[in-house]
Amino acid sequence: MLLMQPGMAFADNLIPDDLQNEIAYWIIVGMLLLFVVAMLVLLKTFKVLARVVLKSQGYTEEQIAAELAPAKKVKKPKAEVWNKLLSLRPLAEEKELLIAHDYDGIQELDNPIPAWFSYLFYATIIFAVGYILNYHVFHFGQLQYEEYSTEMAQADIAKKAYLSKAANRVDENTVKLDAEPGVVAAGQVIFKQNCVPCHGDHAQGVVGPNLTDEYWLHGGKINDVFKTIKYGVQAKGMPTWEKQLSPKQISDVANYIKSLHGTNPAGAKEAQGEKESDDDAKATKKA
Amino acid sequence: MQPEKFYYDNKIVRNFGIATVIWGIIGMTVGLIVAIQLYSPGMNMGNQYTTFGRIRPLHTNAVIFAFVGNAIFMGVYYSLQRLLKARMFSDLLSNIHFWGWQLIIVSAVITLPLGLTTSHEYAELEWPIDIAITVIWVVFGINMFGTIFKRRERHLYVAIWFYIATFVTIAVLHIVNSFELPVSAFKSYMVYAGVQDALVQWWYGHNAVAFFLTTPYLGMMYYFLPKMANRPIYSYKLSILHFWALIFIYIWAGPHHLLYTTLPGWAQSLGIAFSIMLIAPSWGGMINGLLTLRGAWDKVRDDVILKFMVVGLTAYGMATFEGPMLSLKQVNAIGHFTDWIIAHVHVGALGWNGFLTFAILYWLIPRIYKTQLYSKKMASFHFWIGTLGILFYAVPMYWAGFTQGLMLKEFTPEGILKYPNFLESTLRIIPMHVMRSVGGGFYLLGVIVMAYNLVRTAMQGKLVANEAAQAMALAPLPKAAKDGTWHRTLERKPIQLMIAALIVILIGTFVELMPTLTISSNIPTIAAVKPYTPLELQGRDLYIREGCSNCHSQTVRPFRSETERYGEYSKAGEFVYDHPFLWGSKRTGPDLAREGGKYGNAWHYNHLMDPRLMSPGSIMPNYDWLLTQTLDTTTTIAKINAMRKLGVPYAPGYERIANSDLDKQAKEIAANLYTDHIKIKNDKEVIAIIAYLQRLGTDIKANKTANK
Repeated sequence: MLLMQPGMAFADNLIPDDLQNEIAYWIIVGMLLLFVVAMLVLLKTFKVLARVVLKSQGYTEEQIAAELAPAKKVKKPKAEVWNKLLSLRPLAEEKELLIAHDYDGIQELDNPIPAWFSYLFYATIIFAVGYILNYHVFHFGQLQYEEYSTEMAQADIAKKAYLSKAANRVDENTVKLDAEPGVVAAGQVIFKQNCVPCHGDHAQGVVGPNLTDEYWLHGGKINDVFKTIKYGVQAKGMPTWEKQLSPKQISDVANYIKSLHGTNPAGAKEAQGEKESDDDAKATKKA
Repeated sequence: MQPEKFYYDNKIVRNFGIATVIWGIIGMTVGLIVAIQLYSPGMNMGNQYTTFGRIRPLHTNAVIFAFVGNAIFMGVYYSLQRLLKARMFSDLLSNIHFWGWQLIIVSAVITLPLGLTTSHEYAELEWPIDIAITVIWVVFGINMFGTIFKRRERHLYVAIWFYIATFVTIAVLHIVNSFELPVSAFKSYMVYAGVQDALVQWWYGHNAVAFFLTTPYLGMMYYFLPKMANRPIYSYKLSILHFWALIFIYIWAGPHHLLYTTLPGWAQSLGIAFSIMLIAPSWGGMINGLLTLRGAWDKVRDDVILKFMVVGLTAYGMATFEGPMLSLKQVNAIGHFTDWIIAHVHVGALGWNGFLTFAILYWLIPRIYKTQLYSKKMASFHFWIGTLGILFYAVPMYWAGFTQGLMLKEFTPEGILKYPNFLESTLRIIPMHVMRSVGGGFYLLGVIVMAYNLVRTAMQGKLVANEAAQAMALAPLPKAAKDGTWHRTLERKPIQLMIAALIVILIGTFVELMPTLTISSNIPTIAAVKPYTPLELQGRDLYIREGCSNCHSQTVRPFRSETERYGEYSKAGEFVYDHPFLWGSKRTGPDLAREGGKYGNAWHYNHLMDPRLMSPGSIMPNYDWLLTQTLDTTTTIAKINAMRKLGVPYAPGYERIANSDLDKQAKEIAANLYTDHIKIKNDKEVIAIIAYLQRLGTDIKANKTANK
């Protein structure tokens, strides 16, 4: 009796989000550890390889040890291109650049400001000027409130387009009682995720009212329950759910609540509100 | 002419060095505790004095002002004397400075856990301590300038330009950000409210990073790096350019902490534009440092001190590139309020400030003790464990930041939030937080090893308390002496240099602060917004005391993902009575700007008692002491009077009936809780904080309710 509900859109990933996260976490841990291990292994491999290679060339143990010790000689600067790019003058010419003065032995060179540094600085200044012109003079770019209107308008269009195709346009006027086990099961999942802290795990009522008896504070018809969930009851602390649950989900959870009628859970909270004996409830029972 | 003999004061350097290490270990340990609290709330030890909201400010204050602060004074007192060829101006002032600063830190360690806080980030200390900081800072200034005046070196080296800029700018920042009206011995209200207060705070907060964590360290880099590498500074011209450009541009960038808030758009854009222009001047210091090592890279391989310097400079370069990128509003929209920012600041703090401090300690302690470092192996271990610590800290935090930032913005095709419950994103990143604390633990371990190594070094040597030196006295400047350039001339005129630096930093300050503080059209008022009731005001002060704003922001940004999640975006006019503003800078929990009316009083009561009752899995600590502690209403009159003085329109004489209003509202809430079978006396603190939470954002909230 496994009925996949189209409303359960959040389960459409092949790999659940939690698992994805778990995987990502271990990938990061693994990468960091691997990084450390790889560095150590590389170092070791290099030393071993060098030993083997040197030995094959007839080096003695002492010579090998000398070769593997940190090299004393400075490598010849082969980075002519690099120096040009950074507008560096060869180290040999450094003496000419020394400023004839020192502070506690610290000397300074009269090197020019590297050209690439100046270009970077100019580029950022041009960007900054352009930025201000863009947003405050020419108004090509949108400032935050305009940006917000655009975002909301686009979202509205996308949402309408989606809902016109999807068959879950349901509201407090069109919601129908539905005792289909799949619907009730979907509703139960949502209930467990969101409603338990206030209404209790069997809807017996905690901070919020008991939802299993015949007494309703804001109406017990499926339309009323849907409406209460959707908009909330601010004065009584019932949150608004329309921004958190889709209409289909609200309908599912409302139907789940209706299905609980008369279950008489343990520790039920005392009756609150008006007694209602609507036909909806009976229909649920029969189903 | 004979050279003059004199003695450098090494004892004061040693003292600041000891303080650096001790406070460093304490500050980082507190950091580790708060990091663990983020996945294991029980680490607050069931105790109000050690909850996250109260000791996270202790961590930040301890590492910034105690660890880095003492390190700055250590570096400045060592290098200043030598660069000027003179002993410090006055030993007495040096000692007052040292002990005064330690006393200020001790007072922070006492007051912050007690919940005595202004809630301004990195300026949490209450008004009497603010005054003490001002006094000690002036003592430092007199001592520094006194030394400069009796110098035996005509020109001031680049390091000293940075020290002077640090001194003068921190003075301006601290004073302006501490304009507060005392209510009692340890409670005050900020003079500015809402948006204005936010702008002043982030002008301060951003430039505390600039002028406490950056400029003094650049100055120290300019002294210690050439000493360590025995190489000349690469480019004097670059020093001049990047010094002036840095201090001029940095001061403008503060508003990038307030993007998408109600700060006027022009101020936000200025903050972004100047942040981008900051890349090159910031990098100037790194380039000059790294190119100074040119020809000395073979030394870097062998010398652990230079390794620390290179990683430190690289971390500085990364953080100062990332900062401007984060200030672009498109990036900021995702990164702000998340762990991304925590990662960013720690790359700077652990890499740049931490590693430079360690390098200087390893270099300087053996020298003033006339000995060798006790163990090079241990120092090398410290370097590697510290570097690993930074990696293990930063990488998971970046991942956590992206994850949460993106999760909170995701919608389903039906047009509703994919993760409507904020808690889902919190739980998702808990493994990252675990790993971050491991990284932090590595880093702390390295510091402890360093402490041992330095103690052993000191034990095997003997402190040269007064180090003999000699130099020629400064001859009067020959008339018509030409220095070559105007800057060379400025370098021998300390007062003019200070004034020039002051003018340079005041330009950005005035352009950004003045219009916002004085032109009313920048903050449109809203008629529906009324002052807080006395009970709400008291509740707000409890909210400040508990440091709620360390985890909960109070500003809804104009994004679909936020207006859907929290409600209508915040308006400038809503905050006009908020002395201080409580927007926060990090969302460890959800935004509370529109919390009022979202849940019932009973929900809040249960949630404060044990958050896991209402939000299973929540990492918020229990606030059960709010249920037992009685609200102090003796302060109500003083608070109403103070608020009125600050321009909050309470009717004349209202303070006399304020407490009866307070009782009335408290009784209503207690009665309402009673209907949910919660028996609580109406004089408990929890009642006040519920009153405040239920008020939040309700003044202009558009209520859409099924049943009225």
